[in-house]
Amino acid sequence: MADYDERQSLLGDESDGREADRGPGRPMPAICDPSHLLHRVVVLVFMCFLGFGSYFCYDNPAALQTQVIRDLNLNTKEFMQLYAWYSWPNVVLCFFGGFMIDRVFGIRLGTVIFSLFVCVGQVIFATGAWWNKFWLMEVGRFVFGIGGESLAVAQNTYAVNWFKGKELNLVFGLQLSMARLGSTVNMNIMGSVYSKVADLVGSPGHSALGASLMIAAMTCLFSLICALVLGFLDKRAEKILHKEEGKTGEVVKLTDVKDFPLPLWLIFIICVGYYVAIFPFIGLGQVFFIEKFNFSPAQARAVNSIVYIISAPASPVLGFMVDKTGRNVIWVIIAVVTTLCAHMMLAFTFWNPWIAMSLLGLSYSLLACALWPMVAFVVPEHQLGTAYGFMQSIQNLGLALIAMAAGAILDSRGYLLLEVFFCACVCIALMAVVTLYFVDYLRGGDLNRSAAARAKLQKEAASEAE
Amino acid sequence: MAAVETERIGRVCAAICLLSVCSLCTGHTRDRQVLIELNPGSPSPPPGDLLHARAVGDNDTLHFLFCSQGAPTLLLVHTNTSFSTVKVNWAQFNDRNHSGGLTVEPESSVLYSTAVVFNRLLEYDDINDTADPTSDLFPPYDLQDFRWSRLNLSGLTALLCGNTAASSNGSLCLQLSLFETEGRGQHWPRLLHTANSSQLRVWLDGVLPRATRSRFLLELQSVGGASPLNRVEVHRSIDDEFTPSIFKVSQWISALNDSSDVLGFVQWKPVAYRQADPALEDAAPCRHSEPRPQSGEAVAAVSGLIRAFYKEPEATGLNVSFGLAGEPFYNSTKFLSWTLLVGVGSPPVDSFSPLVIGMMAVGLGTPMILLLLGGICVCTRKRAVATAYEPIN
Repeated sequence: MADYDERQSLLGDESDGREADRGPGRPMPAICDPSHLLHRVVVLVFMCFLGFGSYFCYDNPAALQTQVIRDLNLNTKEFMQLYAWYSWPNVVLCFFGGFMIDRVFGIRLGTVIFSLFVCVGQVIFATGAWWNKFWLMEVGRFVFGIGGESLAVAQNTYAVNWFKGKELNLVFGLQLSMARLGSTVNMNIMGSVYSKVADLVGSPGHSALGASLMIAAMTCLFSLICALVLGFLDKRAEKILHKEEGKTGEVVKLTDVKDFPLPLWLIFIICVGYYVAIFPFIGLGQVFFIEKFNFSPAQARAVNSIVYIISAPASPVLGFMVDKTGRNVIWVIIAVVTTLCAHMMLAFTFWNPWIAMSLLGLSYSLLACALWPMVAFVVPEHQLGTAYGFMQSIQNLGLALIAMAAGAILDSRGYLLLEVFFCACVCIALMAVVTLYFVDYLRGGDLNRSAAARAKLQKEAASEAE
Repeated sequence: MAAVETERIGRVCAAICLLSVCSLCTGHTRDRQVLIELNPGSPSPPPGDLLHARAVGDNDTLHFLFCSQGAPTLLLVHTNTSFSTVKVNWAQFNDRNHSGGLTVEPESSVLYSTAVVFNRLLEYDDINDTADPTSDLFPPYDLQDFRWSRLNLSGLTALLCGNTAASSNGSLCLQLSLFETEGRGQHWPRLLHTANSSQLRVWLDGVLPRATRSRFLLELQSVGGASPLNRVEVHRSIDDEFTPSIFKVSQWISALNDSSDVLGFVQWKPVAYRQADPALEDAAPCRHSEPRPQSGEAVAAVSGLIRAFYKEPEATGLNVSFGLAGEPFYNSTKFLSWTLLVGVGSPPVDSFSPLVIGMMAVGLGTPMILLLLGGICVCTRKRAVATAYEPIN
């Protein structure tokens, strides 16, 4: 019996001996069985919608930019403060968020708490708009930020807990497309929500704005419910499969960061070097297409958003592909090289930017599917939250710094040098990934194994354990 | 790692810069020697100043003549000896009735001449913000009627300012810069220049617009003896390092029968700036109209220099309009500055700066080197492992 239990926790997929868990004669349907694919799919649905609320509400200000500026009498700089209040604290906070998940709350409670932060933050934000108090809105964004980024860390950790060694890359792809879906839906419906509310209230104004933001807060509530359900399912799975909730007796310390293995640091460098060449570029892209390629503003907006539009459907597909083939490092190299080519096309040619931007969209999705899951292979499970938190933190730091640097370069030296600068950033990521390849090769690591080799290794480990 | 990288890039760039500076030093320090005279041989100050700059090369001379008698005019004369001179018959020159007041001697040495006349400043009320200058034109300012200041010389630059006789508010200024070597302007648009060209910066400062939604146009005329500048080419360029966000360069050239030999040019970037010390958002895009043949006699009547030098002037003209639909109006800053280059031969062509080349070389080179080193490392290790196993067999 004890043997059976051990095997269960190690070999989640084995289908024999299942009845032993709940006693003989009470078989579970597949959908309720934590070790069955069908049940994992149910969990995946909740996992994806866990982040939906925060992604939806994050871009509320952008979707209602004109309304926010008009109703509250702001200028663009003040408006941008709403994003700054979200971003800057997260340079530090989501590192601590990840640490809290590992050390204090545990993944389940941590997720619920961060979802609560997201909810409360959005409600404060909406209240601030309702009362026409801009400072209260900033407070709301700050509270929302505390929850939002750490929730992403929790989401990653959940994904690894449930899907490592199974469909992990696919899950990361799906989460990315969910994030994109959240912001796209937001961009497209918030405007009409606002005008409907304005009709109901009688006139557009800060009360209408507050009310529509309050409606947006429903999505956060929905995500909170997902967090609760997920916590329940995780607890249940733990009881049935007798797996411990990340408590291996080892205690995480903040100083663990300095002992992170070399491959993890290389992954961090790739992450920063790569993403700083994507997001700040998209932020500045619209005017670039107008100036360099003579696009109309509408065309420029369309070509600029193609990256996100492509990534929504492409990332699950690419994630599935990475799952089937393994060899994550090679996929990351491909993604980085493709991005480099796309940026060089934009910098040095007048070729239609649709080509370069589509390539950018594909490679961006591929990188997200292949890079983020690698973290799970190089750090022990009890440090996962800390590692993901740290990764998110330095990504935020990099983005904040590079966004400022990019603005300064553009103002003084123009778009060519800006593009060359982005190319240089991608080149740094390329150096890191090439180094990662060799380091992993020499250490005989798991990162670049094919899917078949990984499965075989897992089977061997399992039989040894028996 | 990033810090190391930028430092390395910096070092390589410094090395490249040093190399290029050295090549300049060893090549030639000066392409031309420029000598400036004001009103050469004039017994008393004439009604409008005449600047003569003699740019002497190894075996040719460029004469730059800049004059404010009538509309401001810049005349370039290219001669094939380094001994050619300019003779001014001041009585005839100031009279402005007959040609021959200004001659270049020996006359047979003249290879080519071209002139640019700043003829009129036009203003229109852009009520619907369409930036379409055909509507609501105010009566134009004729620059020949402006009260022009004396020429203010400093080094190789000359400044000329003027305002309308009616009001003393604000001014239209022209700054001429001459060059002994190749280089680049200090201020945007930072045009690349050679010793075969001169740069003119034209700006409007504080001139009161006649409507709150006013936009301006500048009418330019090019005059030549045989072949005036006859077509405008717009080249696209991927390089906006020196003129941020501007990816085009326009050149008004004179070419004979579609041959590729360009005799003379006026070159500009399609951008004006709304501030004296501009930031990127102060850039106002410009457009130009197609050049049209003009009456040579009319231009000669407007400009003293054209009248004096050309016997049978041929002229073409075009308008440059500042600002596009949706852009801020002149009223927002009451300042507008535009720069153009006038020269003989082919217009200078921009190339990538050492900074761009250096960054790309380091950025692409380092991963390659890493790949190579890693490959070698792995190979040797494999071989070492293989040899270590041999004794067992």
